[in-house]
Amino acid sequence: MSNVVTPVVSSTPRSLRWRHLRSLEFVVGVLLTATMVLLALLSPLIFPDQGTRMDLAARLVPPLTQWAHPLGTDPLGRDVLERVLLGGRISLFVGFVSVAGSVIVGVAVGLIAGFYRGFWDMFLMRCVDVQLALPFILIALTFISILGGGIGNIILFMILSQWVQYARLVRGLVLSLREREFVQAARAFGVRDFSMIRHHIVPNVLGPVVILMTLNVAENILLESSLTFLGLGVDPQTPSWGGMLADGRTYLQTAWWVSVIPGLAIMLTVLGLNLLGDWLRDRLDPLGRP
Amino acid sequence: MIGFFVKRLLQAVFVVLVVTLFVSYAVRLSGDPAIMLAQGAGSVTEEDLRNIRIGLGLDRPFPVQYFEFVKGMLVGDFGRSFLGGTPVSRLLADALPATLSLAACSLLLSLLISIPLGIQAAVHQGGPIDQAIRIGSLVGLSFPNFWLAIMLVLLLSITFPILPPSGWDGPVSLIMPTLTMAIIFSATNIRLVRTSMLETLSAQYIMVARAKGLKDRVVLYKHALRNCAIPLITYIGLQFGKMIGGLVVVEKVFNWPGMGTLAFDAISARDYPVLQASVTVLALLVVTANLLVDVAYGLVDPRIRNR
Amino acid sequence: MRTFKKTLLAASLAIASLCSPLAMTSANAAGTITVALHQDPGNWDPIATFLVAWGAVGGQVFDGLIMRTPEMKLVPGLATKWEFMDKNTKIRFTLRPGVKFHNGEPFDAEAVKFTFDRLLGEEGKKGPQQSNYAAIDKVVVVNPMTVDMLLKSPDPVLLTKLAGYGAMIVPPRYIKEKGSEFFGMNPVGTGPFRFTEYKPKVSLSFARNPDYWGGAPKVDNVVYRFIAEPATQAAELQAGRVDVANQVPLAMLETLRKDPKLAVVSMGGPVALALRYNTQRGIMKDREVRRALIMAVDRDAIIKTILLGQAKPIASFQGELSFGYDPSLKPLPFNPAQAKAMLAKAGVKPGTQVQLDFRGPDSNFREVSQAVAAYLQGVGINVSLKPYETNVLLNDIIPNGKTGEMWQNQWGGWTFDYDNTAYSMYYTKQRWNPFDDDTKLNALLHTQRNSWDQPEREKTLKEIGRYVADQALEMPLYSLNTVYGVNKRARNLALPADGRFRFVEATVE
Repeated sequence: MSNVVTPVVSSTPRSLRWRHLRSLEFVVGVLLTATMVLLALLSPLIFPDQGTRMDLAARLVPPLTQWAHPLGTDPLGRDVLERVLLGGRISLFVGFVSVAGSVIVGVAVGLIAGFYRGFWDMFLMRCVDVQLALPFILIALTFISILGGGIGNIILFMILSQWVQYARLVRGLVLSLREREFVQAARAFGVRDFSMIRHHIVPNVLGPVVILMTLNVAENILLESSLTFLGLGVDPQTPSWGGMLADGRTYLQTAWWVSVIPGLAIMLTVLGLNLLGDWLRDRLDPLGRP
Repeated sequence: MIGFFVKRLLQAVFVVLVVTLFVSYAVRLSGDPAIMLAQGAGSVTEEDLRNIRIGLGLDRPFPVQYFEFVKGMLVGDFGRSFLGGTPVSRLLADALPATLSLAACSLLLSLLISIPLGIQAAVHQGGPIDQAIRIGSLVGLSFPNFWLAIMLVLLLSITFPILPPSGWDGPVSLIMPTLTMAIIFSATNIRLVRTSMLETLSAQYIMVARAKGLKDRVVLYKHALRNCAIPLITYIGLQFGKMIGGLVVVEKVFNWPGMGTLAFDAISARDYPVLQASVTVLALLVVTANLLVDVAYGLVDPRIRNR
Repeated sequence: MRTFKKTLLAASLAIASLCSPLAMTSANAAGTITVALHQDPGNWDPIATFLVAWGAVGGQVFDGLIMRTPEMKLVPGLATKWEFMDKNTKIRFTLRPGVKFHNGEPFDAEAVKFTFDRLLGEEGKKGPQQSNYAAIDKVVVVNPMTVDMLLKSPDPVLLTKLAGYGAMIVPPRYIKEKGSEFFGMNPVGTGPFRFTEYKPKVSLSFARNPDYWGGAPKVDNVVYRFIAEPATQAAELQAGRVDVANQVPLAMLETLRKDPKLAVVSMGGPVALALRYNTQRGIMKDREVRRALIMAVDRDAIIKTILLGQAKPIASFQGELSFGYDPSLKPLPFNPAQAKAMLAKAGVKPGTQVQLDFRGPDSNFREVSQAVAAYLQGVGINVSLKPYETNVLLNDIIPNGKTGEMWQNQWGGWTFDYDNTAYSMYYTKQRWNPFDDDTKLNALLHTQRNSWDQPEREKTLKEIGRYVADQALEMPLYSLNTVYGVNKRARNLALPADGRFRFVEATVE
């Protein structure tokens, strides 16, 4: 691989600013993500009624016109601010849990496949092929039309289609690590496999996996909203960003805030996560590929 | 080398078959096309439904249906749509160009955007331009694609009636859907180009070229760019599957008569022949793209070839 | 780099220009009306389908012996008069002279016989229309301008059904020559417009038939564009690219009304909506509970605010235009306090969970169901809303009895006759009735089915309506108006409540 050399193109004053701005990226990323997550987690305490309190007399109130509804109301008179914050819980829940599941399964399989090759390796590569060939949305449709929607199924389905990414990543990393000197040396010394995996392989694998995780959480939040938009998502009573976007679509010209505000929420959260992922990548793997 | 290619080809065929088998089976697990067709009729008896099913060929066991489908596919006969008996090959012949042209234009536009921007970001690494481009691309990545589509329609069709909001009536209709897809693709591609360029720029041979006195521009575009072409192509090839997914949603919003809409409607309507055929074609497309990428990779990196 | 950029640019232009569709649709050519239709039935053969979307097109190219006006009156079509004979086992139709099919074939008794032989025979077996005409035994030619229709059993709705899809007259020679499949893609009939081009899932075009027996149409062309999403239909309307949209989202009504070139046309329609109860599950077994739930929901408020007044309250599963509608039957009043009391008395604990299944893609009903859930929450019932893909709900969940405590029940009732609805909804083991089995109800339904005595039927139907309401087998919600978005440049469209367009008198500026 190429040397890790500072590119010739940058000059000293710039690099100072660069480091400063890079921290900015990190700060903004963490701030955004943390704020959204915190708000989402705290929301049930702030709003005990679950955002379902309907008020047909106060439909479609524009934002910044009433104290009671700072961000306006939706077509059923429910407060937008409340629902956006509560909606974050569902979207973030789906995002994090699905990724956690994929990681557990994927990393395990990837480690085994990469380290031991043989049957597991072949199985994994076939799974990769098949999974790559299947457009997620179509399979989601088929799957969900058989089993119905709902949070559980969506998460399950995301795990089923995404564990392969982690497995493939880990496998690739393990494969290349295997050939490295220190691993071969350790083997020559007779270090046991499990110990080797734990101490030599895993730490090196962690970085890229975490990067992929942050990106996937972001992606899954977007996917959940797409599915709900297509009519296959979570229970519409439970506030979810995707659901609110779908609900508000026909009101774009009369009550833009119903759609735009949850859309902004999605964007900000995903942006925060992406910034974090970016920063992580810079720190852990500066010249690595996305 | 030939052996490698043949092996990958066989794997590709295998994958396509598995995919179509899975989807064909899965979609039959729920819903009944006969009932769907009979909706609205005053009172439909079991007898009537049975007749409808026979007419559709659904009374035969699943393996037979699937086998007939594969057999037909090999000679180009994809059967007839349940929804009215239109020959599926005709539906495909209309939908495939729609999707391919959208995909091709999106890809092109995204390359047109991402390559120059990625290069600029790499060249000015750390500077404000780099930061702006990176943040911009991150923002682009964060848009839900259907939301972007809807906003574009609101802006360019309704507020300012410039572009047609839906359908495919000529090249002008391509603009908004392409824009939607390209914005999101460019986001990832920019970073890819940037990273590859950064890596290449720091490579030894570039320093040598510079030392030789070649102009920056020449160095940049002739040598460095060529080097990041491969990872770029690889990445695009691998992203094909994801792109098809994005296409489905975008096609829906713009009422684009492509494969995505075709497949989506077929699932909803339990139109098995159309669904099986469109999923097969889509899988074939993705698998072919992957195959080409693999071959290119195999050509370049002998280590992979011999695994 | 310049060469590289240039190549890219050239390539993109080349691809873009090659990317034109095979032919362009002329949206606003002078003398063309463009209609946005939400679905492409795929086959223009009258016996092949029951989809509402077919009806939107069928009336332009075909005629039936009997036709129905936008005011829902039955008038002569290809038959100038009809007569019941032999104790109502025979109907004699006198046919209209001098009518030709679009391909030049003459319309005569042979054509009528051919149509019904086909509908009732092998060909018709493959489609859903046949079962609707089960009362007909056969059609006999008396002379070239007269046919007799022999009936196996009484069917009081038969005349209306003869104005329906399956009974529209088709050309014998054309079908014999070209086959049914070709006919399905290239329809030929006797109607005001003749078929010119069909691009599956994209568009369908017609040109006027100057020899039409009802007078030549005033527009040159009618083009249908298939646009599934209501929001997109509205966008196209606003962009001036379609003249009529059959599915506009209610949320956009005000916006469309404000647009100076557009108008919104609304009228009482055949579609009724209710929440049908699963009377075998949990708390729904108790009739008092079912009635309490109805009283907990303010249906009038829902109609006023969510549906923007584009619906009417109902007490039974039919609209006011339906034969069998009883204006004296009033819906249960909105009274949450009483509802709570009734629930308490029935022993239902606050916080009880129920599930409501509905059609996920239906954006209007999404809101309605959320409103219902909120109201029910007000009396202590927790509702979980479960969206299903429409086809899964209609083809699997409901017929197989896999529903929650209640589900969205929506019925088109195109015959505007409560029989069609009630039988499918309440008769034991009908597709749409997975749970209820009531002998008394069955008997009532049976009697009116086979009687020609209309006043008697009406009485029975009203009794059925009252019985169902009394048993609270469902929560009737509303009957939807049929709403169209139109461009004012198109006039005299004679827009019908049942969605079956016929633009004989229509004009465009």
